[in-house]
Amino acid sequence: MLVRARDEREVQTQTSVASREIGGQPQRRVWRLAGLIAWSVLIPFLLFCVLFELLPVIITIQGSLTNGGTTGLSLASYQRLFAQASNLRAFQNSIALSLVTALIGGLVGAVAAYGLASLRQGWLRNLLVSFCSIAANFAGVPLAFAFIATLGVTGFVTVALRNWLHLDLYTLGFSIYQFWGLVLVYVYFQLPLMILVTLPALSGLRPEWREAAVNLGASPASYWWRVALPILFPSLVAGTMLLFANAFGAFATAYALAQGNINLVPILIDFLVNGNVTVDFGLGDALAVGMMVVLLTVVALYTTMLRRANRWLGR
Amino acid sequence: MQQPMSHWRGLLAARLALGLVLLYLLIPLAATLVFGLSGGHGWGDLSALSAVFGDPDFWLTLLTSLGLAAGTTLLVVLLLTPTVYQVRLRLPQGRFLLEALALLPFAVPPIVLGTGLLQEYNGAAASSPLVALLSLGLVPLLSNVFPLLDIPLLLVCAYVIVALPFAYRAIDNSLRAVDVRGLTEAAASLGAGWWQTLLQVILPNIWPGVLTAALLTFSTVMGELTLASLFNTYTFPIYLNMTGQNDPHRAALLAVLSFLLTLFCVLGMVPGSRLQAGAGRAALPGQIEGAGLR
Repeated sequence: MLVRARDEREVQTQTSVASREIGGQPQRRVWRLAGLIAWSVLIPFLLFCVLFELLPVIITIQGSLTNGGTTGLSLASYQRLFAQASNLRAFQNSIALSLVTALIGGLVGAVAAYGLASLRQGWLRNLLVSFCSIAANFAGVPLAFAFIATLGVTGFVTVALRNWLHLDLYTLGFSIYQFWGLVLVYVYFQLPLMILVTLPALSGLRPEWREAAVNLGASPASYWWRVALPILFPSLVAGTMLLFANAFGAFATAYALAQGNINLVPILIDFLVNGNVTVDFGLGDALAVGMMVVLLTVVALYTTMLRRANRWLGR
Repeated sequence: MQQPMSHWRGLLAARLALGLVLLYLLIPLAATLVFGLSGGHGWGDLSALSAVFGDPDFWLTLLTSLGLAAGTTLLVVLLLTPTVYQVRLRLPQGRFLLEALALLPFAVPPIVLGTGLLQEYNGAAASSPLVALLSLGLVPLLSNVFPLLDIPLLLVCAYVIVALPFAYRAIDNSLRAVDVRGLTEAAASLGAGWWQTLLQVILPNIWPGVLTAALLTFSTVMGELTLASLFNTYTFPIYLNMTGQNDPHRAALLAVLSFLLTLFCVLGMVPGSRLQAGAGRAALPGQIEGAGLR
């Protein structure tokens, strides 16, 4: 509001000569014109977002309600979604995978972030933070191949375990190409991401709070339990939500690893809309809308928690 | 001050966890390097390496991806910098809109975005009157233009949206750290226009943020598979995927090369982020996350 008033004043002084002659009316019109000019800088960006961000979403929703544009308004694609157990199974797998990796990444990552924040040597801290941002960005196809080279059937660690410890992972039922293998791979990018998003929150914990708690007779455990964790809690939940969204939308890693032989929602959508034989946009759209519903819930929780975190740690 | 024992025990546990995490992150990298270099015939067999560099498809797709990444980066910076600057300067009421647009891609993963875009520009939706109206007639126009181009422009546009959350964060954070209003008014009093102020006064002050945004975008595009596969564009990650399925040793080497690429991108960001940290503003959770595509 303040800025608007200030703008108004600027424009008023500029146009005061003109308006004194004509009267009060054009003043407001000129101000409105200035406002429009200010907004006009945003036009390219906003138009771009409409064309490539909002319209695809609208068209996907529309497609899910018209069975991919083949019928009038109908729930046929949703009926097909719910009629086939494999579709629901895909959602179950995707949610389970995201939840498990988000919880492992969130818990271990938060503790590791505390360990990182407690390091005295600044250079070491910087080095490790840089390494974490590389690892968090190292995902998709290369990550899948790195894990095949490590824990695949002829992978380095698999062979080493077999030769040195006579421990054959694959006869024990482990496979990098199945659910728990995928969990290991996803955790690889979840852990550093959690460390990166938790560090700022940890640095927001003021030393005075600990001193005050200790002065009042709190043990370290009760400081953590009653002071630090309640303050950090929203940030930690927000971080975990971010990890969930991150894993839920992931496609390339799972695709490169299992080549479509694992039933996850993104893989299923790809199969439906990118198939060589037939495409089925109706069901694909319905699945896509399902994904967006799950993710919107997660993102809503994420923003709520972030706002709550800002109350203590923020601006 | 004498710290109680249990405090040290907690600290030790946290550092132990950190050590284990680092081990977890390092082992696959080391194993991949060894695996890639050991070839089919034991250690030191470099035939996989020469096979990679001798493959024309390797260079072709690498070049394609580099071009796509450069184009996307340019478009991201060109679209975002003036917009975010203007909102910070004159339109605080537009902030909410920008935040929402930058948050939406979290709820619309690339596979969903791609599905929508395919229908928007290739399917029946291109001729739907509602879509034409909502896009001011641009979608029907563009759906005729895109197939005529030699370059996958639609893919570039999709990548801009994918990179939007991270790029917006980086640029917005760096703009928050400088006194946009004061600088602009000072420039205006010396007679600088809007563009001149942006290019000669604001940009030199926020280049670390712009560089971070650019590098995040660049490394995102270099590794993106989902949209490229949906739009049938032969990019580096697609080549990686196809080659890797036949030859795991070559795949391992290519993974190492990709890692090095990510490494250079992140190293480019480090001086920038350190400068920003020097500005004294702690980023909040979710504001510095990596942009890699999973």
